[in-house]
Amino acid sequence: MKKEISAKVFRFDPLKEEEPRYIEYSVEVEEGARVLHVLHAIQSIHDPSLQYRYCCGSGQCGSCAVRVNGEPVLACMEEARDGMTIEPLNLPLVKDLIVDLPQFLNTLPCLVPEGEGEVPLPDVTSEIKPLRSCIGCLACVSVCPAMQVAEFAGPTAMRQAMRLTLDPRDKEERVSSSVRDGLFTCTTCQGCYKACPKEIAIPGKAIEKLRALAHEKGLTLDRHLEVAALIRETGRSVASSNPGFLDKVANVIEPCGDVRGTVGFFVGCMYNLRLPQTAFDAMEVLKRNGIRIIIPNEQVCCGSPLIRTGQTEFLPALKARNIESFVARKIDIVMTMCAGCGSTLKHDYNTPFKVMDISEVLTTYGFELPAQLGIKVTYHDPCHLMRGQGVHEEPRRIIRACADLAEIPQVCCGAGGGVRSGLPEEAALLALNRKKLIDTTGADMVISSCPFCEFHLAEHTKKEIMNISSLLLRAYNEKDLNKPG
Amino acid sequence: MEQDKSHVLVIGSGGAGIRAAIEASKYGETVLVSKTLLGKGGCTTMAEGGYNAVMRDCDNCEDHYEDTMKGGAYLNEPNLVRALTNEAPDRMKDLINWGAVFDVTPECTIAQRPFGGQRFPRTCFAGDRTGHEMIVTLSEHLRATSVRIYEEISIISLLTDDGRVTGALGIERSGEMRAFLADATILATGGGTRIYDISTNSSSGTGDGYALGYRAGAVLIDMEQVQFHPTGAVYPYDARGRLVTEAVRGEGGILLNTKGERFMSKYDPERMELSTRDVVARSIATEILSGNGTERGGVYLDVSHLPAKTIEERLPVMLEQFLAYGVDIRTEPMEVAPTAHHMMGGLKISEEGLTSIPGLYACGEVSGGVHGANRLGGNALAETQVFGKRAGESAGKSRESEKVLPINQVNDQEKRLQAFYHGDIQPVVVEMELRQQMWQKAGIFRTAKDLEVVGKAIENLAVMNMKASSGENLAGCCTVQNMYCTASLVVNSALIRKESRGAHVRKDIRQDWDALNSPFGHTWISLTSSGAEMRRNL
Repeated sequence: MKKEISAKVFRFDPLKEEEPRYIEYSVEVEEGARVLHVLHAIQSIHDPSLQYRYCCGSGQCGSCAVRVNGEPVLACMEEARDGMTIEPLNLPLVKDLIVDLPQFLNTLPCLVPEGEGEVPLPDVTSEIKPLRSCIGCLACVSVCPAMQVAEFAGPTAMRQAMRLTLDPRDKEERVSSSVRDGLFTCTTCQGCYKACPKEIAIPGKAIEKLRALAHEKGLTLDRHLEVAALIRETGRSVASSNPGFLDKVANVIEPCGDVRGTVGFFVGCMYNLRLPQTAFDAMEVLKRNGIRIIIPNEQVCCGSPLIRTGQTEFLPALKARNIESFVARKIDIVMTMCAGCGSTLKHDYNTPFKVMDISEVLTTYGFELPAQLGIKVTYHDPCHLMRGQGVHEEPRRIIRACADLAEIPQVCCGAGGGVRSGLPEEAALLALNRKKLIDTTGADMVISSCPFCEFHLAEHTKKEIMNISSLLLRAYNEKDLNKPG
Repeated sequence: MEQDKSHVLVIGSGGAGIRAAIEASKYGETVLVSKTLLGKGGCTTMAEGGYNAVMRDCDNCEDHYEDTMKGGAYLNEPNLVRALTNEAPDRMKDLINWGAVFDVTPECTIAQRPFGGQRFPRTCFAGDRTGHEMIVTLSEHLRATSVRIYEEISIISLLTDDGRVTGALGIERSGEMRAFLADATILATGGGTRIYDISTNSSSGTGDGYALGYRAGAVLIDMEQVQFHPTGAVYPYDARGRLVTEAVRGEGGILLNTKGERFMSKYDPERMELSTRDVVARSIATEILSGNGTERGGVYLDVSHLPAKTIEERLPVMLEQFLAYGVDIRTEPMEVAPTAHHMMGGLKISEEGLTSIPGLYACGEVSGGVHGANRLGGNALAETQVFGKRAGESAGKSRESEKVLPINQVNDQEKRLQAFYHGDIQPVVVEMELRQQMWQKAGIFRTAKDLEVVGKAIENLAVMNMKASSGENLAGCCTVQNMYCTASLVVNSALIRKESRGAHVRKDIRQDWDALNSPFGHTWISLTSSGAEMRRNL
């Protein structure tokens, strides 16, 4: 069965033309056709000069990666959608959809064998295998924010360095060289992982592992050592002489009206000590929506700053204490407000309870509609919420209930992965890139849902930054003000 | 025009080409030219199932030899099979030394799985991405050598001087011509089953090497022997023919028709699904032709009785590919049908990989004789390494010669290319017509009548004037010429072989001999002659 598909295609010959054009084509393809088959049809029917790469047609060679509606995909595997826009990967352009892959592929580190190579042990083999399925499409490199602003060899180079480090046949020392290649510039935004057609978890399986090895060699950044020392001494990743949220808040907060649900609240260091008012705003919102909140005050740092920077020695103690504090109170659902804490609890812990972000809690239990504030806002997706936890739609439902939402592409703001503390100059450059995108929206305010993003963006943009709970509370207040009588 | 001079020129960047270049570079300056990005174009990177090698004391090379000869319907060149089976283990060790990550047993030996037509589970593997593992290893190793790599240059002609190959002419993506002069040239251009409508091959499986060798005067053997892999995907239409690895059956997958019958019991009750590929492909085709196939024209291949974990660990690529098309093979059967997969025939070579023309070597799928009339699954990856090394070594040891660009040959090629600017038909139109004709009339079941019809059709296509709108289309035009040249070699050889043997089935010929007692040896074809070797009088 045939069907008609129209697609907008990026066309540009940098040697002959001033600027790119987007040309819309309409072609007939078979049911189930992939993006590649649309390109074939365009080339054979409309324009033989259209240039694109492909080889295997079955997702195995990595020649044909392009962006479809902004997202990197393999053209041979992605189903063609009517009205799609096809662009090259965000890499140095050769022509049309062809980008310069060799400059990256041909400089990847290689195994340096010494004499007879022994077969690696089965457990080593199974550790290497997930890092080995890379097909060299470079979707990861094309989305890496750190590579835009820092000297960073890139995600797949780190994957390869880790793969070689694990292999007893490789005689080179790869850890120091990966530090030189920018190991600490990665914000662990997970962009590479989510772009990878083979789903290689480069941040978790390579970057953080290499950082742990770098730590063993004494190569950890000074500022990261300070953070770790602080956590060891105080149980918290930030210092404060003022009383924090946990010092002021009650152990149990009863909601107004009927109890519709009960959650334990994992506060996190930033909301506890840096942005306590935001946490109090969230408590108000939850109270209003019938959620009872239990807040164990012996909870400590989740350990995210340690995992992200490879300093995992006293992680087990933190984990045990946090888990026990909720288990002791027989809590089934633990709510986080911090994207980093949430992602850590969901992926790096093995919890006997369910972990939910506050947006998930509010949209699951349902929230009272607030007043529209009549302002235009944009939303900065925190990496560790959107990619780390797959929470994308829920915050938008809340924001749209309060204000007019202008969307921007999701890109890391530079606050994560220890970059804000360890390499503040890089973090500032990433925030400035973010600011440029934010400025294009004309929004009055930026909404986010992560204390690191909020704190960092507030420092580097001139815009007002507001947490999603504070926005909702403000819209409730507006509603109450307008109440007749 | 830019000229590159070297001791050895390797054409092709699949498993055989890279292995040859690594070896040749030990003897002198070596250049590798690939029409795709390094390693991405050939079929090696797509090869899923495995690499046959005798790795255990309880197995032996003699058995591997016999399995290969029997599987190949005794059309194989015995000395080439000896080399393959004796050296496959050492070449596997090379890969291991260079960092390949194959699956291992708990005892820390290379794991092996059963494949069709072999009496021992002899197929080493890296999940179902074995070829990819090899290509990654080889590419990394190549980059650590002094080999100069030219990517995305299509070779359009071999250069000759007084009967000796002295290099090649290629064109860049833009259409710009480049010359490569060398003391020895190695063809490692892979196969050509893209001449069929339904094929497992990548975009580069267009028979370039057969056409280049044939035009330069080389002898090709057994070109009628085209392997139809039993299990190719049938949906979606545009992915038809995509390889469903033999490892699926190796791991325990069963074939069922729409009546739910495990039909292999009718065709080969002893070996069932793990019979040789020619037998399984014919059985599936017969079931489909007799109305026992699905609406989309396939049969079922089922692994849903296997533990989900086995499927996830041993067949991850299959799982991922079928999921992308909405089929979860952990719970549902796959729909499969035969697909053109491998050319057993090719340039006639000596054990050293030397073709019938001095200065020209060949290795991998472009060469003929190793697999006879049917290739065993797992022998192609082994072949790339054994004969890649052999060709690289002998080319490396070849004598130095003066390197002069033959201007008349350059001019001839200029004229050939110029003509495309005045053409009137899109190459893709010619290509599609060719592929349909070949599939319908020179596929699994053949008759002289059909072969003559397709032969005539190819002649008609060959006189059409293909059109290039710009320099960027020139390589595409040359490729289609290679395709119909290869197709005509297949069709003519199929007419010459007046028997059914291995993958080649002539429905119009009755014979009273089995493969072992066949009167025929190789078919051969070259610019000047063609025929069939006789082992005895009819």
